Amino acid sequence: MTYPIELRNVSYYYSPGTPLQVAALKNINLKIGEGELAGIIGHTGSGKSTLISHFNGLLRPVEGSVIIDGEDLAKDKETLRAARFKVGLCFQYPEAQLFEETVARDIAFGPKNMKLSDEEINERVKKAAEFVGLKPELLEKSPFDLSGGEKRRAAIAGVMAMEPKVLVLDEPAAGLDPGGKNEILSMISEYKKRTGCTVVLVSHSMEDIASVADRVIVMNAGTIAMDGTVDEVFSHSAELRSMGLNVPEITRIFIRLRELGYDVPADVYSVEKGAQILREMIRRRSV
Amino acid sequence: MVRDITFGQYYAGKSLLHRMDPRMKLILTFGMIVAIFICHNFYSLALMALFAAAAVVFSGVPAKMILKSIKPVMVILAFTAILNIFYTKGGETYFEWWKISVTEKGVNTALFTVIRIIVLVVISSLLTYTTTPTMLTDAIERLLSPLKIFHVKVHTLAMMMTLALRFIPTLIEEIERIMNAQKARGADLESGGLIHRAKALVPIFIPLMVSSFRRAYELAFAMTCRCYTGGNGRTRMKQMKLHARDFITLFVCLAVVAGIIVLNHFFTRII
Amino acid sequence: MREKLIELKNVTYTYEADEEGAPGYTAVRDVSLDIYKGEFVAVLGHNGSGKSTMAKTMNAIFEPTQGTVTVNGIVADSEEKGNEIRRIVGMVFQNPDNQIVATVVEDDVAFGPENLGVEPSEIRRRVDDALKTVGMYELREREPHKLSGGQKQRVAIAGVLAMQTQGIILDEPTAMLDPTGREEVLKTIIRLNKEMGITVVLITHFMDEAVHADRVVVMDGGTVIAEGTPQEIFSQEEFLKAHSLDIPQTAQLCRRLGFEECILTPDECVEKLTSVLGGAAQ
Repeated sequence: MTYPIELRNVSYYYSPGTPLQVAALKNINLKIGEGELAGIIGHTGSGKSTLISHFNGLLRPVEGSVIIDGEDLAKDKETLRAARFKVGLCFQYPEAQLFEETVARDIAFGPKNMKLSDEEINERVKKAAEFVGLKPELLEKSPFDLSGGEKRRAAIAGVMAMEPKVLVLDEPAAGLDPGGKNEILSMISEYKKRTGCTVVLVSHSMEDIASVADRVIVMNAGTIAMDGTVDEVFSHSAELRSMGLNVPEITRIFIRLRELGYDVPADVYSVEKGAQILREMIRRRSV
Repeated sequence: MVRDITFGQYYAGKSLLHRMDPRMKLILTFGMIVAIFICHNFYSLALMALFAAAAVVFSGVPAKMILKSIKPVMVILAFTAILNIFYTKGGETYFEWWKISVTEKGVNTALFTVIRIIVLVVISSLLTYTTTPTMLTDAIERLLSPLKIFHVKVHTLAMMMTLALRFIPTLIEEIERIMNAQKARGADLESGGLIHRAKALVPIFIPLMVSSFRRAYELAFAMTCRCYTGGNGRTRMKQMKLHARDFITLFVCLAVVAGIIVLNHFFTRII
Repeated sequence: MREKLIELKNVTYTYEADEEGAPGYTAVRDVSLDIYKGEFVAVLGHNGSGKSTMAKTMNAIFEPTQGTVTVNGIVADSEEKGNEIRRIVGMVFQNPDNQIVATVVEDDVAFGPENLGVEPSEIRRRVDDALKTVGMYELREREPHKLSGGQKQRVAIAGVLAMQTQGIILDEPTAMLDPTGREEVLKTIIRLNKEMGITVVLITHFMDEAVHADRVVVMDGGTVIAEGTPQEIFSQEEFLKAHSLDIPQTAQLCRRLGFEECILTPDECVEKLTSVLGGAAQ
């Protein structure tokens, strides 16, 4: 069985061999399957950015191996280069990468590097722009004339246009207002639904992850602290909070109620579910 | 690492040299570097080397760090030594073969030059080990401030220096970020000819420029908000004051220079 | 009678047209708003709603195209007046990297008072006090670029405190921070207002920050579209959502449970729930 992403005993150190050596990743074993929508959460410095930089070979493990789509990235240069296109990595504040004269040409940058035909590139640019909801008339504008939200979308489209097997997005909604954030998150689940691609979403907010992901991987101090379904991970919500992670307000209310001795579940993360449980409790109380 | 540029190679400490007024330190460093070149013979050079060694001891900077600063000039040292040994002729001949000969004067000059360069490097690196670039900038600003009467914008220049020191690490991080983002889109920065590589820099250079302008714009706002209107009417929190230690060091340096002159006078010249 | 600190009267701000002939863009339209001394006002609005531009008119960085801005009785109509106003109202920006000017934390905090020509010993005292207030005194000799985002923003806040302004405008100070950093900064802001009596204008698009304010102002399309206490504003879920905003989850929950009052913080909500549910015995 091959996985789009597989890490075997991966360790990574900054400044290896010096007294300043810092372990950023410690013996990570991870498999992400075809068509999964996995969330990776962890606070700043937990190793999540270092981890995703291994997925496309931007960082090479000091120990262990990274196997993308069945091929070990350490094999040769070609495999490594192929991984760049198999795993599309979209960093935090991706609008900082825009540079071309027009939006269309910027989106085409990745596909061009893949040495595709012009027709194919045009096709992909249109498709990606449509996916992220950029109006066709914006394609011929300079990316620097777009609004903040549009720039973000154009940058994400630039990664989507490479049609990677795995799309990795680091904090795609950072700095956006609630409306913009919801749009980006629903765009991501729509993308997964339509393409069937594997999607990895990185965030420090449980709230964003819970709303779209099937599986949550929690990073802490360079290791995988938890790995499971959203419900499973949320059943340890108090631990998540102690790791410096932001759990939804609703979850915080339930953690507190449990501390006070109420018999309520620990894995509540949506308002609807919380309201349902509490309504039931209030009803029982009044009879 | 380049990222550590704000502290340069500053070695944190509280030694005599660390606590000296940076203005005095700057002047004395220049003075003593000149003094190295006054030395004409091994006796005066030995005094200078002794002074440098004493300065190292008083700086509290570990010998290992000092050696590290000599490492980059090793090639130059080897080069000068070889040139001098083989090309300076005079005195007794120690060794001769075909067209190559090694003479007394050659060996002496080589040794002298090597010691001189080492002392030079040690003294100047002591300045940077015990003074942060920020303190140096401040010291330069204050030393040059008399130039104001010639309408030289000393404050503006110093402010630019400080901002450069402040923003270089930020921009280096930014370059790394942009490079990673473009590499993730398949940008190939490592292979190809010169023209190809120059072209490959465009996707990095343009976003860097765009963001730098934005930063500059925002920084200007932020400085305006904090009532910055240039150097006029500005006070400084950290006052530079000359203490007894600064005058004592000055005196020691003068004594060393005097010693060098005397030793130069009494012993024969090597260079 | 409450005293006004900042008074915007029919303020309009239009960005100048560029050379290529693109028309000027009006970001703020006919806004009238008073900020009272000692108040904590949150300004909510989605990206591009004009809230940042309005903030910049409040301490005379931008001179309004139309209308007047008065701060502590001074009308912002010239460069000199602008400088006077900025001694009264300070500002902290979104990007922590782009507002720190010095290479050492304490030197940066000293930058404002130095510009004001304050005596060196007095600057030292103010810098130490400001750094202690924001909890950064221990790190005063650090290089700013090695700090976390939340720490940098606290240094920026200390920089304003050291100028001893009456008010502080914070333009999305937490937008680029992680949850830990956001919490640190928010706590600091609340402290400034509650303990030191500093007038705070917090521009944000985080609902859970706005609930701590005395008054919430909602902006869209360059105008103020709603104004009121957090309870009044956050009881209008549909209205806020229509403007790309939201209400805190706690408020959503309480609404779904049919509670009459508008409860905004998890603590208050737990309190209410315990009173409804009685003891934990069952």
